[in-house]
Amino acid sequence: MINLENTSFDCCIKCTICTAYCPVARATDLYPGPKYSGPDAERMRIKAPFLVDKSLAFCNNCKRCETVCPSGVRITDFIYRARNIRLKKKHRLRDFFLTRTDITGRLSAGFSWLVNPFIKLKATKFLLSLFMGISREASMPEFDRGTFTAHNTARLRKQQAFARKVVYFHGCYVNYYDHALGESVIAVLNAMGIGVLTPPQKCCGVPLIAAGNFTQVRKNAAFNIAGLRRVTGNDSDMKIVFSSSSCTLTVKQDYPHLLGMDTDAIDDRLEFITKFLHREFKNDNMPPMRPVNLTAAYHSPCHLDRTGGMIHTIAVLKAVPGLRLVVLHSECCGIAGTYGFKKEFHDIAQQIGNRLFDQINRINPDIVITDCETCKWQIEANTRYPVKHPVSVLAEALRKEDSPPI
Amino acid sequence: MNTAYDYDCVVIGGGLAGLTCGLKCLAEGLSCAVISSGMSALHFSSGSIDLLGHHPGREVVFSPMDTLPDFINTNPGHPYAKCGLHDIVEAMDFLHQEINAQGTRLFSNGRYNHFHITAVGTLKPTFFSPASVFTQEIKTVFEKKPCIAILNIKGFRDFHPVLAAANLNRHRLFSHCRITCGEIELPGQKTAAYGTADMRSVDVARILDSASDLRDVAEAVSAASGKADIVALPALLGLNRYPEIVDELRRSTDRLIYEIPTLPPSILGMRLDNALKARFAAQGGIFIASETIESGTVENDRVVSIHTLNQGDDIRAACYVLASGSFFSKGLSSRYGRMTEPVFDCRLDIPPDCKSLAAESFFSPKSHDFLRAGVKTDERLNPETTSGQAVTNLYCAGAVLSSYNPVNEGSGGGVAVATGYKAAKQIVARIVNEKHPENRGPE
Repeated sequence: MINLENTSFDCCIKCTICTAYCPVARATDLYPGPKYSGPDAERMRIKAPFLVDKSLAFCNNCKRCETVCPSGVRITDFIYRARNIRLKKKHRLRDFFLTRTDITGRLSAGFSWLVNPFIKLKATKFLLSLFMGISREASMPEFDRGTFTAHNTARLRKQQAFARKVVYFHGCYVNYYDHALGESVIAVLNAMGIGVLTPPQKCCGVPLIAAGNFTQVRKNAAFNIAGLRRVTGNDSDMKIVFSSSSCTLTVKQDYPHLLGMDTDAIDDRLEFITKFLHREFKNDNMPPMRPVNLTAAYHSPCHLDRTGGMIHTIAVLKAVPGLRLVVLHSECCGIAGTYGFKKEFHDIAQQIGNRLFDQINRINPDIVITDCETCKWQIEANTRYPVKHPVSVLAEALRKEDSPPI
Repeated sequence: MNTAYDYDCVVIGGGLAGLTCGLKCLAEGLSCAVISSGMSALHFSSGSIDLLGHHPGREVVFSPMDTLPDFINTNPGHPYAKCGLHDIVEAMDFLHQEINAQGTRLFSNGRYNHFHITAVGTLKPTFFSPASVFTQEIKTVFEKKPCIAILNIKGFRDFHPVLAAANLNRHRLFSHCRITCGEIELPGQKTAAYGTADMRSVDVARILDSASDLRDVAEAVSAASGKADIVALPALLGLNRYPEIVDELRRSTDRLIYEIPTLPPSILGMRLDNALKARFAAQGGIFIASETIESGTVENDRVVSIHTLNQGDDIRAACYVLASGSFFSKGLSSRYGRMTEPVFDCRLDIPPDCKSLAAESFFSPKSHDFLRAGVKTDERLNPETTSGQAVTNLYCAGAVLSSYNPVNEGSGGGVAVATGYKAAKQIVARIVNEKHPENRGPE
C-alpha cells in the first residue's frame, strides 16, 4: 500500500523556478536541486524506497525554494521527511553535539570559562573534525556564562507587576549564547509597559529536523506547546513572541505541517518580535528613543523571508531615529543553522555566503542588522562588521534615553 | 508612527503589471509594497514585451502605435481603450527608462514591431527586446539574408535546433537563408556529477556565469557554426554576467550572437524580472516574495483591509492594486460551472454566447475564449463587487482584467505595463488630492 499522506507534489508543474533560486544548487553541481530532491524524487521514493540517493543530504533547509514556488508546493517537507525516514544517519555523535542543544548548551554554558577557550584550540578543532565531522575552518560561537533561564525567578516579580504581558520564547540562542539579546527584548517591552514571561521551554527543534531526528523534535514540540498553552491560559490577547526567526517558522509552520502537531490553541498568538513591535508602534505605543547615528545594512534571513516577516523589521528599524538603513538584496548567508559547521558542507556554505559578504563590503556600513542568530555568526566570521539583532538596536536607542541629557 | 496606513499603495502581485505600477508609485514619491506569492509569470516569458502583435484577423501588426487608435475605437471595452493611447505610449517609455536606469537595456524598432525567433523556429512580433534578441545591428544583418547557425549545448534537451531551423526556413523572410545546425560542449562537462541531459537552462547559465575562461566555448562555437554570420543559441548565456558573456563570444568568434528563449525557467524572462525587482528595491520599494492574500474586506466603496496568511490584517494601505494575474497565477479561479476572483470576489466579465470557453483544438487560430474572461472594471480600472458596488480605492492591472486576449492579440506585456502605469497614475492623483486638498482643481 502506498502512503499518500502528502501528494502536494501533484501541484508541482516542473517549472524549475525553485532550482533556479536554490543557493546550494548554485554553489555546487553535486546537488541536483529542490525540484529533483523534493517533488520529482518523492514520486519514486513512495513506490521504491531504494531509489533514495545521497543528494538529499545537500539541502540546507533555507526554504528559498518554497519562497519562490508559484504553485505552493511544500518542497522542503518532502526532503526532510524523506531524510528522516529513509536516509541512513551517518554522523550520530555530531548530530547529538549539534542538535541536542539543551544538553550540550546547558553543559557548555555552565563551564563557559573552560569551554570557550578550549573549543578554539587547534587540537580541539582537529579532534572535532576527525571524530565528529565538524569543520575545522568554521568559527565556533562563544557560550555565555550560565543560562538565561537561571535568572527567571528573579525576573518574575518585576514582570508580574505589569498589567499587560507577553510570553517570550527566547530559544537556545538567548539561553546559552546571548543573554544580552534576551535582556534587550525585556528592556524594550518593559519600556512599552509590557511585562515579559519566560516559561520553561526546550529547543524548538530546527537543528533536529535538519538531522532527521523527528522523534526528539516531537517530544520537544509537545513540551513547548503544552508549556506555552499553560502560561497564556485563557487570556486571548496574550501574544507569544520570538526573537529568533527560525524558531518562529518552526513552531508556526513545521510543527503543524511537517510534524503533524496540533498547534491550534496557540497558533494565533505566535509572532516574531518585530511583527508585535510594529503593531504596537502603529497603535502609538512606542518607547522614547534617541538618535543612534549609524549606517546599517539589513540582511533578511531566509526563514523570515519565507513568511514575508521582514516588512515588520524594516518598519520597526525605520522608526529608530538616526538609523540610516540599507536593505540588502535578499541572499542566503550559507550557514543555515548547523549546515555550515558540517565538514562536508562548509565550503559550499562559504561559497553561498560570498555574494552576501560582497554586498555588505560594498556598502561598508557601521553595523549589519539581521534577525537570525546563525546569520549573525556567519556574517561576523566573514566580514569585519559587528552584527546586531533589530531589538538590540532598539535597546541601544533606549539606553541613551536613560542617560541624562547633555 | 500612528498613521492610518502603512503604505500609500499595496500591490497584490509581483509580475510585470504589479512592478510597473510599484515603480511608477515610487517615482512619484509614494510609498509602496508589492506582495507576491512566489515568482511571477515573467519566469515563463520570452523576456520581450509585446504591445500589439496581431490584428483580429491574425495578420501581423507592423506599427502598433499607428494601429492602436483604430484598435481602441473598434474595441471600446479593451484595457487599452481604458488607458488611452497617450498613457500607453507614456507607460512604455516609462518602463523603458526604468529598466535602462537599472543597467539592463531594452531595444525597440522605433514605433514599429520587430520579430523574435521562438524555440520552435516561428516568428513572433514584439515591441521591446533585450540586446541579444534585437538591436539595429541585428536588424541590419538579418536584412542581408545572412547565413545562420543554430547551435545547441550537447545533450541539452530543452532546445532542438533542427526543429527551429526547419520551421524558420519555411518563413518567407528566411526561405533564402542558409541555416545550419550544430552543437557545442560546455566547459567541464565531462567531470560534472550530472550531465547536460539532466540540466535546465539555469544550470547551464550558472556554469557560464562562473566560467573563468570562455575561450573553449568561443572556439567550439566558431568550429560548429562554419561560415555563419549569426550564431543563434538557446538563451542560457548567463543570468548575471550575460552582457560580458555575449560580448566576449561575439568578439572571439566574430559573429553576431543571438539568443532564443527556451522552456521555463526562461533566462531572458528572469533577467527582466531581476532588473525590475532590483530597480524597485533601489527606489525604496518593499517586495514581499512569499505571501498569500486570503481575503479582502470591502466596506461601502472602499477596501478597508486585506487578510494575509502570515501577517493577518497587519498590512494597511490607502489604495490597493489587484495585479494577481490570470488562472495560472491564481488571480482567477475556475471550478466546474463557476469562475471567481478569489481575493475580493470582484464581478467577472465572462464572454457570453459561447458554448465552451475552450476551443476544440489547443492551437486553434481562433484561440480560447477563457482568455477573455477576467475582472470587469470601469474606465478608471476600478472593479465592482458581486453586489454591484464600485470599489474606488482598488485598481486592477494586467492579466486579471477581462476583455482582451493576450495570446491572440500579442498584447499581454503591453496591457500589463499600460494598466499598471495607469493604475499608479490614478493612485498618485488620488493621494495627492487627499494630502493636499487645497491643490484640487475645479471638477
